[in-house]
Amino acid sequence: MTAQARTDAPAVLEPVAVAESSARRTWRAFRRNPLGLPAVVVVAVLILVGLCAPLIAAEPTGYGPDVLQAPSAAHWFGTDNLGRDIFAEVVWGTRASMLVAVCSSALAIALGVLVAVVGAYFRRLDTAVGTLVDLMLSLPVLPLMILIAALAGPSLPVTVAVIAAFSWPEVTRVVRSAALSVVGLPYMDAARVIGGSHRWIIRKHLLPATAPVIVVSVVLTASRAVLSAAGLAFLGLSDAQSWSWGRILYEAQQSGAMSSAWWTTLFPSLAILALVVSATLMSIAYNDARNPRNQGR
Amino acid sequence: MTTALRFAGRRVARGLLTLWFAVTATFLLLRLLPGNPALAVANPNMTKHDQALLLHQYGLDQPLIVQYGKYLWQLLHGNLGISFTQQVPVSSVLLARLPWTLLLTGSALLVTIAIGVPLGVLAATRRGTVVDRLVQLGGVVGQSLFVPSVGIFLLFFFGLWLRWLPIGGAYSPDAAGAGWYGNVLAHLVLPCLSLMLLQIGSYVLTLRASLIDALGEDYCELARAKGLPNRAVVWKHALRNALLPTTTLVGLQLGFLVGGAVLTETIFAYPGIGRGIYEAVTQLDYPVLQGAFVLLAATVVVASMLTDLLYGVLDPRVRTR
Repeated sequence: MTAQARTDAPAVLEPVAVAESSARRTWRAFRRNPLGLPAVVVVAVLILVGLCAPLIAAEPTGYGPDVLQAPSAAHWFGTDNLGRDIFAEVVWGTRASMLVAVCSSALAIALGVLVAVVGAYFRRLDTAVGTLVDLMLSLPVLPLMILIAALAGPSLPVTVAVIAAFSWPEVTRVVRSAALSVVGLPYMDAARVIGGSHRWIIRKHLLPATAPVIVVSVVLTASRAVLSAAGLAFLGLSDAQSWSWGRILYEAQQSGAMSSAWWTTLFPSLAILALVVSATLMSIAYNDARNPRNQGR
Repeated sequence: MTTALRFAGRRVARGLLTLWFAVTATFLLLRLLPGNPALAVANPNMTKHDQALLLHQYGLDQPLIVQYGKYLWQLLHGNLGISFTQQVPVSSVLLARLPWTLLLTGSALLVTIAIGVPLGVLAATRRGTVVDRLVQLGGVVGQSLFVPSVGIFLLFFFGLWLRWLPIGGAYSPDAAGAGWYGNVLAHLVLPCLSLMLLQIGSYVLTLRASLIDALGEDYCELARAKGLPNRAVVWKHALRNALLPTTTLVGLQLGFLVGGAVLTETIFAYPGIGRGIYEAVTQLDYPVLQGAFVLLAATVVVASMLTDLLYGVLDPRVRTR
């Protein structure tokens, strides 16, 4: 498809047109999936809530007089053991969770794709890359993240760095298998024969071929990052200055409110569930829609 | 026989490599991370003189490579350092906790397979029906669960609301004799259920996909053509082959299972290594955190080695590769 993509202008236009119509076909198949669009809507709403947090609720800093109140008109999600509004905590937690998800998945994707593509392209490196990825995937990652986060001192950058450092192997694993299936194809040889540099071939031919896998990877890595960040925060390893979904649960567990006030844990849990389930469904729907077998009619 | 031995030898070598990697990564991380290396062994509340003394005692004033050699040597002897807060060897703290973690993760794995396999078969044999869709959706939701949320929900529902099951710990202090086993079992149910829910999605989805593939193969066609009832084709012919990718999944998911166990044990105050990690985090007890990771990594490596060897027994093709 991309084989004729170089030389002069008219030839460049053609594959673009092909890509557009295939994108349109994918979009049509995506809309037919009953769970695809609702999932996109949920994710979009959560992203909006994260972006507009200051407009929706005041930052939950001060303690209030109404301690452990059940949900009411004044406090939609109730209040915690220090009288803070849980709705505001969840809204601000959305912001922090999104920030961690976006930053750590961006880092993990950049590193993971780079390692995967370079490994697949330069065959001599591939065994080393494969072994390293297998090793890292077989280790219990959470205890290692906990160790590092505890040593480095919990903060937003540390959380992001730790999650990225242990998420890239999964990205590499997925992207690498996609890249390996492409490097052997004739158009790669053709690109080499006409004298393309390694960088040019990787950027213009190998990367575009793995793009759909990378798209799915971004979504899945981000949603897994949310779970990891919440897990670290639940163990008390999060920035004490900012709210996150995991920290709400941590404080509910620490104060013992967890066993008496259901609303302290239900709402942050629902937020995590909604985000991760929707992101996963979204990527599944996209994957299905990309499959030509599901595009007919 | 020799090929089987060579397969086993290669697998053990890979396990050892993984373990070496884990141990070396921990060593380097602890020394190269910003901050005082003394933090890794010394209590931050100590005076400068005491810290220097302790650094010398631990050999932390020696070149990195010497430290590394000594570190490996100590590990080979099962020495994981001394816990700050309890002033006892980390290994004895953790080994006392290990059986609980093994009980929890092992039982969760068994229950997951016992429930996951029939569910996967159900979905694969009723492909495209409402049942299949529901099982698939359930599998996706299961993979997206946050363990503490599941734990809290179960604890609330079965422990506090229905009052059917105990809400924490591994046994009641007053339980004794034959009742002790029942008591331990009752305490195990909720943590085990949380871990099962966390994992079952991937098992069901993997088994469903591989069973659908297997049912499309020629030998299943032949079995049907011979007039075998569908039940026999599924359970006796297709499932045996479809179980192989599931066996691989066990090895791949072990690290994830252990991570889930850390969070589950925290929720249920279950006295395993995970709860130990939680307590060590609140007390900043680095030697315990490091030891816990090394021990859990070793457990995972050994367990995944065993699954792969089992895989070799189940599928002779693997041995020749």
